[in-house]
Amino acid sequence: MFARTRLILGMAGRYLVKRRRQTIVAVAGVGVGVGFFLAVSALMIGSQNDFVETLIDAAPHIIISDEIRSPSPQPAVVALPGGAVQVRGYKPRNEVRGLKDWQQIARAAEAIPGSVVAPSLSGAVTLRVGGREEALGIIGVDPAIQEKLGNIEENLAQGRLRDLETTQGGIIISEDLADRLGVGMGDIVGATSRVGNRTLKVVGLLARGRGQLGGNGYVLLREAQSLTAQPFVINSIGITVPDPYAAEEIAADLEARFGYKAQSWQERSADFLALLLTRNVIMYSVVSAILLVASFGIYTVVSNSVVDKRRDIAILRSVGFSEADLQRIFIAQGIVLALIGVLVGWGLGLLLMQILGSLEFNIQGRVENIPLDRRPRQFLIAGGASLFCAVIAAWLPARKAARVDPVDILRGAA
Amino acid sequence: MEARGLGRTLPGEPPVPLVRGVDLEIMPGRFHAVIGPSGCGKSSLLYLLGLLDRPTAGTLTFDGVDTLPLDGDARAQLRLERFGFVFQFHFLLAEFTALENVALPIRRLGRLSGSAATQQAMSMLEAMGLADQAGKTPDRMSGGQRQRVAIARALANDPSLVLGDEPTGNLDSQNSARVVEIFQRLARDQGRAVVCVTHDPEVAAAADVRIHMLDGIIEKID
Repeated sequence: MFARTRLILGMAGRYLVKRRRQTIVAVAGVGVGVGFFLAVSALMIGSQNDFVETLIDAAPHIIISDEIRSPSPQPAVVALPGGAVQVRGYKPRNEVRGLKDWQQIARAAEAIPGSVVAPSLSGAVTLRVGGREEALGIIGVDPAIQEKLGNIEENLAQGRLRDLETTQGGIIISEDLADRLGVGMGDIVGATSRVGNRTLKVVGLLARGRGQLGGNGYVLLREAQSLTAQPFVINSIGITVPDPYAAEEIAADLEARFGYKAQSWQERSADFLALLLTRNVIMYSVVSAILLVASFGIYTVVSNSVVDKRRDIAILRSVGFSEADLQRIFIAQGIVLALIGVLVGWGLGLLLMQILGSLEFNIQGRVENIPLDRRPRQFLIAGGASLFCAVIAAWLPARKAARVDPVDILRGAA
Repeated sequence: MEARGLGRTLPGEPPVPLVRGVDLEIMPGRFHAVIGPSGCGKSSLLYLLGLLDRPTAGTLTFDGVDTLPLDGDARAQLRLERFGFVFQFHFLLAEFTALENVALPIRRLGRLSGSAATQQAMSMLEAMGLADQAGKTPDRMSGGQRQRVAIARALANDPSLVLGDEPTGNLDSQNSARVVEIFQRLARDQGRAVVCVTHDPEVAAAADVRIHMLDGIIEKID
């Protein structure tokens, strides 16, 4: 079997070598197709991964808030299940906001190996400096825990998260907000909350362009409890898990156990993720079309070869080669072309990625490179898809080769 | 090989009979010449005997085996192992050297390793006096040399039946005589059955059995 494969590959190779120009064009077609497939997919998936990473890192992977998706049933409804009388027009009891028994929820979340659980309290204040006022959502955090999450600390342009602990009334705000208020590091700002007026000191500035993260101000947890007049209350638990992609399942489990709304990062970003899916479908359609067009070159080479080699086909049939052997010889031509084309394409893809990766862009004062996905997965997809297209492109004319009637050819030549 | 009532008709309106009711026995150790005017069905009979074409009537047995029910692969395998073809035009593969052309059926049969197959192909060429031409492609050889390479290829797997379709039709008298001599040797010295379609009276004269054909039927055998 191995000897026959060698023979067939050798014959296919010999036919290709003799049709050098067509072979080069077909290989170049596949190479360019694979190369651009890799460059485009590296660009698209790289930017997607970067975007998803930003989504994941912008906030805890799961946020449990003091909300419930559907109101709990009223006591009368619970007491009379399936009753004939429908209770209507009752006055629901006012619930105190905040997570009840949050320590129990936190313990359950901490039981997940490698997880970091960060209780927080969010509220709203108005910051004032001179005549300027800016409304701001504030989040009270525990810096020791937040440090483990890293999302605030890593995005600080100035200051440190731990400064919240050492500075009375410290606050971290974004550089954008600081500009609008005309304040900088160490400056004092006035803060108005529902308990009255206070002063806060800017101890950290979040870098620009940090989206959701930069939209809030960060203070010490007890400072937030004091500002919102909710001592010992927390209304949110942020959970970071080792595998962000398991967040959805864990969130559903925690919500089922404790009743509070547990939102995974996937749920919070569902719109964006759906958009990315659409973008991927478009991208793969376009790059697959490139590979498909490249396979037309292979079809042309093999098809021409079948037409030119009708006499050889008749000779080989008379010598004892079977129809399947002949089909394999021509399919092997397509596979050999595709394999060489894929190798050329991988090289071209790497070169294009190198060029794209070396480009530098100035984004809001920071020099950044284009994020690229260089994982082997894309190389394998491009190679596999090209080989598949090549086999189909070669199989179509190869079928004709197998159907050639040797007697017609031999009679015609005589 | 034995043919009984063998026929081949091309479908159409009206159908075209190529070979009709042929009863024939091809014997080992004999040189058979099929002769007759152009278009009398000589080559068609040869293609039927060589299992390249399928009969539309009659039976054809080889070594006691009915060949009609055999599928394409089995017929190809029989051609590979037991039959050898030589045509009017050398019909060598232009991309391959003489040695590679002769080695093709040996390698396809797969009973010998790559180097042993090459060695056997070389010995076939030596037997044809073509050892010095082994590395040449057909376009760099004379007509006689090419035809001898084609004979070497036909004999590569030691066939028991050698079929020739006007093998001397494209050769000068000297090369023609050489080919006839080889065919005689194949039959008389090596015990193979040789069937040769020819217009050449000298080839017919050299044969042990002459099969005269006319309008698709065997007129006489002498």
